[in-house]
Amino acid sequence: MLLILLTVYPILNLIGMSVSTIGFQAAREVWSFTPARNFQDLIDDDIFRTALWNTLVFAVVAVTIEIVLGLTLAILVASVSRFKGLVRTVLIVPILMPPVAIGSMWKLMYSLDFGVLNQIVTSFGLQPVNWLGSTLLALFSIIIVDVWHWTPFVFLILFAAVEGLPKEVIEAARIDGARNRELVFKIIIPLMKPALAVAVLFRIILAFKVFDEVFLLTSGGPGTSTEVVSLHLYKVFFEQNQMGYGALLSLAIIAATIAFLWVGQRAASAVGAR
Amino acid sequence: MKRYDLVPGLLGAAAGAIFAASPAVAADSFMDVGKQAPITILINASPWYNGFESVVNLYEEQTGNKVNLDVTPFPGMLEKGRSAVRDPSKSPYDLININSTWTIEFYKGGFLDPMQDVDPNFQVPKEVLTLGDAGCWDDAKQFRTCKTGKLMGYAPNGNVELFYYRKDVFDQKGLKVPVTFDDVLANCKVLQDPPKSYGYLQRGEKGDSIYYDWMAYMLSYGAQDVKDAENGDFTVTINSPQAKAALDKYIEIGHKCGPANAGTLGQGDLIQLIQTGKGMQAQGVVAAFPNFDNPQKSAVVGKIYASVLPRATADGHPGAAIGSWVFGIPKNASAEGKKGAIAFSKWFLTYKAQYAYAEGGGIPVRGDVFDSDLKKQDKFRWMQAYEDEIPYGKQVFGYAESAQVTNALGLRLNQALIGELTSAQALNKAAEDFYEIFQKSGRKTGKIAPLPE
Amino acid sequence: MLVLRGPTRWLAYLVLAVGVVVIIGPFLWVALQSFKYEIAILQGSWIFTPTWFNYSDVLYSHRSDFPTNVWNSVVVSSLSTFFVLIAGTLAAYSLSRLKWNRWIARTFLGWTLIFNMIPPLTLVGPWYLIFREVGLYETLTGLILAHITLHLPMTIWMMMAYFNEIPKEIEDAARVDGCDRLDVFWRISLPLVTPGLIAAGVLAFVFSWNEFAVALNLTSRASATVPVAIARFAQQYEVQYGQMAAASIVSTIPALILMFFGQRFVVQGLTMGAVK
Repeated sequence: MLLILLTVYPILNLIGMSVSTIGFQAAREVWSFTPARNFQDLIDDDIFRTALWNTLVFAVVAVTIEIVLGLTLAILVASVSRFKGLVRTVLIVPILMPPVAIGSMWKLMYSLDFGVLNQIVTSFGLQPVNWLGSTLLALFSIIIVDVWHWTPFVFLILFAAVEGLPKEVIEAARIDGARNRELVFKIIIPLMKPALAVAVLFRIILAFKVFDEVFLLTSGGPGTSTEVVSLHLYKVFFEQNQMGYGALLSLAIIAATIAFLWVGQRAASAVGAR
Repeated sequence: MKRYDLVPGLLGAAAGAIFAASPAVAADSFMDVGKQAPITILINASPWYNGFESVVNLYEEQTGNKVNLDVTPFPGMLEKGRSAVRDPSKSPYDLININSTWTIEFYKGGFLDPMQDVDPNFQVPKEVLTLGDAGCWDDAKQFRTCKTGKLMGYAPNGNVELFYYRKDVFDQKGLKVPVTFDDVLANCKVLQDPPKSYGYLQRGEKGDSIYYDWMAYMLSYGAQDVKDAENGDFTVTINSPQAKAALDKYIEIGHKCGPANAGTLGQGDLIQLIQTGKGMQAQGVVAAFPNFDNPQKSAVVGKIYASVLPRATADGHPGAAIGSWVFGIPKNASAEGKKGAIAFSKWFLTYKAQYAYAEGGGIPVRGDVFDSDLKKQDKFRWMQAYEDEIPYGKQVFGYAESAQVTNALGLRLNQALIGELTSAQALNKAAEDFYEIFQKSGRKTGKIAPLPE
Repeated sequence: MLVLRGPTRWLAYLVLAVGVVVIIGPFLWVALQSFKYEIAILQGSWIFTPTWFNYSDVLYSHRSDFPTNVWNSVVVSSLSTFFVLIAGTLAAYSLSRLKWNRWIARTFLGWTLIFNMIPPLTLVGPWYLIFREVGLYETLTGLILAHITLHLPMTIWMMMAYFNEIPKEIEDAARVDGCDRLDVFWRISLPLVTPGLIAAGVLAFVFSWNEFAVALNLTSRASATVPVAIARFAQQYEVQYGQMAAASIVSTIPALILMFFGQRFVVQGLTMGAVK
């Protein structure tokens, strides 16, 4: 009962807020019904459009890399005879660190003057890289952190799926003379489709919600080069306390996520992946 | 290496000194506030938290009254404060600490009890700095002012930015403490040698960092955000020629005196560059000063000195934007809790309590504590600069739309600094943003002639 | 899975080794920082005199509640994971094997997904009110309930994927042999998805262990969890890197131990049930 209340009430509340303007008077909320005004705000919101574009780029690039790496690692770990347990434990470590620590620590690693990454770069005699300060590189630098942070997540989901595959089917295919490449692309990946779908699904949802890394590393700068939707929402809904428009913005973000997933699924089935 | 071995000894000695000192302080009588119900204070983890905690311990010891502290990470303060005051039943806190940039929301929404509604006898002692009227609110004018407004709270901590410089390097190179921004540029010609040393550090990170540091320029160059917010004239003046001069100077100094990532330099980066000895001159918060003298954190112990921020012209004034916190009493706190909060506040604002607070690492809010023997101590050598600068202190953006306005400004300034826009374009765009914001909120607003782009 | 021979095998080990180094590298780097004074961290020095200062400050300083925070996290994460696994597995099995009305099943699954997309920022306000109303504010029970709600969707989806991987024929064969539905679930299907159960458990645990926004709002000093405590080191004017690094390292240890025993618990529980 409480669980239903916990999921239903916030969404109803969100929908109610999204068509209202909410002010406060004498410590009480004052709601007024202003759907047109909120939609006008959404249409006029240039930063939201930039943020949506950055989020899309971020989600597509980061999740693609993570799926490829996670899948490779999962199949390799399942195929080697030693170090399985060790590798799995090691791979859990990044997701165990609180995001605030990840953001702060990577900021230190990216530091222009003192960061370990630039120490490595300069030790090869190259110029120090302005990881977070260049508009071209900043989003890319955040993607690196995200890949480091979340590849283990993908790996865990996919590794369990590989281990759960019916061994008989794969043995049978091998006896039929299938090579490794064929095994992977013709047997293993098709069998793992449900798990791959779940990994992609939840990674995309999480990527659309990315916040701490961006907030701590660049605050969305320089300029608008790393402005993402959740950061914009944070400013509108939280800092500026525009609860009505902020709620509409979060519904727009949810709608964009759904639309993206739908298009992605359509595209995948069009090229015959599903 | 040697230095690190000394640290535990030094710390021990310092701790010993504090413990030895406190009974002596305690021997004199503190204010008697009577028996009070226990109170809970929402307070942020910060460099001055230790000072505050030691004062609270002293209060408990002196009065026997219990104080619970909910120590909350800085990023969670606004959220917890909001949840508490919006709680329909009862606020879990009796005293909440609010960053001055957020105070308007709490004042305007009627979430706090005016101090004198709780206790008509409550007065902030006249020695306490008003810090740009941070704690007062005039509901009719919708503006922070003590002249006509009610007392909603008081600052437990007043933070301004000071000019920091490396005294050892200045002495060696025969440089003078700059008075104007042009002096800063002249000094930095000598000092700038990247990546070994940087001539002048100021924050450039998009958002609060850049707008707050640019205030030093804006206020000193005589530019204003709007014509007369106190009296309701919100004609946008952020794209005035003075503002452009301020922004051009800021950008020039950023490029000529800063690191290559000047456009993403945040608070942490800036302090890091000072503490590691690369920053030769800098604009930084006073709250950071104790770190410079802490051998665990700094390679420049005893070398950083403070002065008043630079100004636009030698006969002008520095632009000191105040960023304080404000203690306020939630309207929905319990009656005993409110009474206890007032009692604590009275005690906390006394000279003795503030003196102990400063000794424990806090930034006191009483002028007479700054005037005391403390500033003769080497570790409080920033106090003189603070005292000299605070008369120029201003609370900026004292209206309800401040968060929207500073978000917009924080982006436009950053775009100008990194070269996405020219300074004129950036300010014109900021003016457009401001204008729209004020129009939507129904203010009497207008525009001035845009800058030629 | 694949049979790797000769050079391919060495290539596989090489790729794995590189992967492990890249993933563990930053973590080891953080661990290294936890033994430095802040100035050495800021300077990025490699030569320094190690110190326990950060650890003692995190664990023993009189203003530190870190041991309490770790204990709170242990309680919240283990219990919420336990309940999420039970509820999530049952729900997933029933959705994947029983004949639910398509419409109901889709609505339910869609709903869990959409719920997962809600920005936490907009969630915490309503939840604060609900938990104040039912008297669970500032309690670990409240936070456990919140985490179950947050992490159930992902567990259901993951477990569905793993159940769907099992060929239906295996179960049908067992049914023919006279097992009832419950027997099939307990003795056949569940053991087959053990790796999946472990992965889902690990992720539910990790997400609960790191959850910040809700924990911040529903707890006070006494019930705060590890991420809230660690965020205290990221202050307005200063990030206390040394203490933050030490706290991050300290907090991973109980989590790793718990997950290790949790895995063994799951594996043993299931092998007892399975027909061998």
